[in-house]
Amino acid sequence: MRRLAVGIGAAALSLLLLALAGAAFGHSPRVLLEILVSGSIGSRFALEGTLLKSVPLLLTGLAVVIAFRAGVWNIGGEGQFIVGALAAYLTSRFGTTAALLAAAVAGALWASIASLLRVWRNAPEVLTTILLNFIAIHLLGYCVNGPLQEASGQYPQSDPVPQAAALPLLGGSSLHAGIVVALLVTLASWWLLYRTREGLRLRATGFNPSAAQYAGVDVNAQIARAMALSGAVAGLAGAIELLGVTHRLFERVAAGYGYAGIAVALLAQLHPIATIAAAAFFGALATGAGELQRSASISSSVATFGQAVVILVLILFGSMRAFAPGRDE
Amino acid sequence: MMLTLAHISKTFGATRAIDDVSLDLDRGQVTGIVGENGAGKTTLMRIIAGEIAPDTGNVQLDGRAALVHQHFMLVSNFTVAENLALVDATDPSRLFRTHRTLERRAEAIIGRSGIDLRGVARRVDELSVGERSKLELIKAIASDPDILILDEPTSVLTPNESSELFRVIQRLAAAGTAVLFISHKLREVLEVAPRIVVMRAGRIVADTTSQGMSAEDLATAMVGEHQAIASIVGVQNDENRATAERRSPSAERRIHPLRCEHISGERLDDVTFDVPSGQVVAILGVAGNGQVELASMLRGLEAPRSGAVLLDGKPATRRQLLGSGAVGHIPEDRTRDGIVAQMSIAENIALTSRTPLRHARGFAQRLIELYSIRAQNASQPAGLLSGGNQQKVVLARELDRRPAVIVAAEPTRGLDIAATRFVHEQLRLAAAAGSGILLMTSDLDEAFALASVMYVIYRGHLSDPLTPRDAAMQVGPLMAGVA
Repeated sequence: MRRLAVGIGAAALSLLLLALAGAAFGHSPRVLLEILVSGSIGSRFALEGTLLKSVPLLLTGLAVVIAFRAGVWNIGGEGQFIVGALAAYLTSRFGTTAALLAAAVAGALWASIASLLRVWRNAPEVLTTILLNFIAIHLLGYCVNGPLQEASGQYPQSDPVPQAAALPLLGGSSLHAGIVVALLVTLASWWLLYRTREGLRLRATGFNPSAAQYAGVDVNAQIARAMALSGAVAGLAGAIELLGVTHRLFERVAAGYGYAGIAVALLAQLHPIATIAAAAFFGALATGAGELQRSASISSSVATFGQAVVILVLILFGSMRAFAPGRDE
Repeated sequence: MMLTLAHISKTFGATRAIDDVSLDLDRGQVTGIVGENGAGKTTLMRIIAGEIAPDTGNVQLDGRAALVHQHFMLVSNFTVAENLALVDATDPSRLFRTHRTLERRAEAIIGRSGIDLRGVARRVDELSVGERSKLELIKAIASDPDILILDEPTSVLTPNESSELFRVIQRLAAAGTAVLFISHKLREVLEVAPRIVVMRAGRIVADTTSQGMSAEDLATAMVGEHQAIASIVGVQNDENRATAERRSPSAERRIHPLRCEHISGERLDDVTFDVPSGQVVAILGVAGNGQVELASMLRGLEAPRSGAVLLDGKPATRRQLLGSGAVGHIPEDRTRDGIVAQMSIAENIALTSRTPLRHARGFAQRLIELYSIRAQNASQPAGLLSGGNQQKVVLARELDRRPAVIVAAEPTRGLDIAATRFVHEQLRLAAAAGSGILLMTSDLDEAFALASVMYVIYRGHLSDPLTPRDAAMQVGPLMAGVA
């Protein structure tokens, strides 16, 4: 209950700070908030935009929840998202299911590179996953400027995925079936973490790896599995964004979703179900920020500002300490 | 008065840890605090030390208090010297010292404390538990407190080291320091403390001079007149014995569930021993002679440099030792290695049990009753339990699934009399049910109470196996390395 209050408080406070920051630049805070609200949930169009943005955030948020629960800082969601999208693109001619599966496998393998480096060289994941992001970003850049560039060779982007592989739209809206997949993954994550022995051991590893070992948990294997799972979910996010929204690969296809997942997971206080609400909040913030840019000429990067403020507010509430990974203690 | 506590109360969750306690303390007075696990002793000490605030009531302290915890408050990747430099108020430029200077100053601090600790250049995570607790004590004394609070200081010390500590206490008291001394060893309290405060269920139930008191009188005051210790343990045992007999496994088949053949490591040298099923084998020794490394090898966390660990006669891989469930562990450092504080009792137990997760809570509830764990319910976070009850959770979890081998390291450290007897009885029952039990202990009484075969470990060497009768003559010199 306290955690719920903290989460809502942090979200509300960050909106308030956002509006006040606007005031510092001569905008009326009330007008800013009104635009944010109407631009994110004020119309059917806005609401659909919010939901579309929430789907990748939900999945990258879950990826972070799974890893952090096991006590490992997976900052590599962005890279895992990108290799997922790449794998989905390459396998899209075999159909949607194949593409989604390939993306999950690719994300898992990409994340597992960090696990291997940990086991072989004791390299901390917090560093290796970030570095793997840069490799993935440049790999994607090379692909859309080279082997995967569209046939016309005009822009640094790929041709669209085959129509048959695209995610079906839901009842005449712009919403795609990925939202259902994301919700199913959410439920599955909750079930895994709180209703299976695997999840119990994963959480024990995150809280107190030393005690987990003495209870017979192979901590290194546990962490490796959590990383792979985390990478798979982030990779899936990439595939869903490709097959549901962008249909093409281009350099900015990940659009920071991987990093934003960290803010989502922290706002959800690492609870899988709460991640739905946190993802919707950041989805709304991003969509509303787009409207701010259009109607008030404020850069839409205020959404990123909002993410940062949420994390800072959570630190202020001191709720980060409870779940900060303590493996290197 | 140097310290006055007036009507202090403190509640954690739904547990009233301290219930309207008032207490006065004078300079130079040594006061023993006794009580069962969960009686509120540690909480009260933390309030006096200013670590936690009481909900209601008033603390008036004239001077400063230093608390030596049961758990370690050391920077584990600093050396002994560096840890002492952190508290060395007499050295204003301590951040700019060379290692050599820090080490010389550390040796001087240790010398002044009157406690024997060598090797100040070693990192804390290389120290044994016994050495760490000595370092904690030295740290506290170095800060020159007006009140020194010692929470179970002797539980990891040898008899000699304990008497050494008592001399230090007397000296500090003579110099005007008030000393509060928590211990479960009642004879020790009677020896050292002229005044004794007995706590039960968060209250002070007796505040007397130790003159004319016997350990039995104190024990009765601790548990209350209506509950003789023997009867608590007795009832539990009958229930457990019935359970044990019901599921006694094929004990005959496993003749030697655990053997170590010539294992060597950083601190172990050619260690060979044998744990037959149905018996308690003790490895007796002062902390810091290689026990930690041995325990870690038996758990499969590190591999021996040479030699082999055998389960059921076959060499076991690290993975088998860790994950097969054949070996149950009761680790020495229960807060670090025993329980996951943030998870519930039920979850801690479910970590190793084979019960389906949806029955985890009911199962844990049954163990809570069977092992008389003092908890509100199975969903309570394990970290909120007192040390003794945390130990019971680990014990219940590891013993209940009847593993072929149980490695118990200092299983009763810091436990009160009733809990200690309970743990001993449970270990005996587990042996009777066919488990082979390896007991690593520094407590002579414990080894003699349980073991049919004893080894003494000294600087990584194991003595020949001793029968209890031989051991009675030889352990003393063997433990001190003079045999």
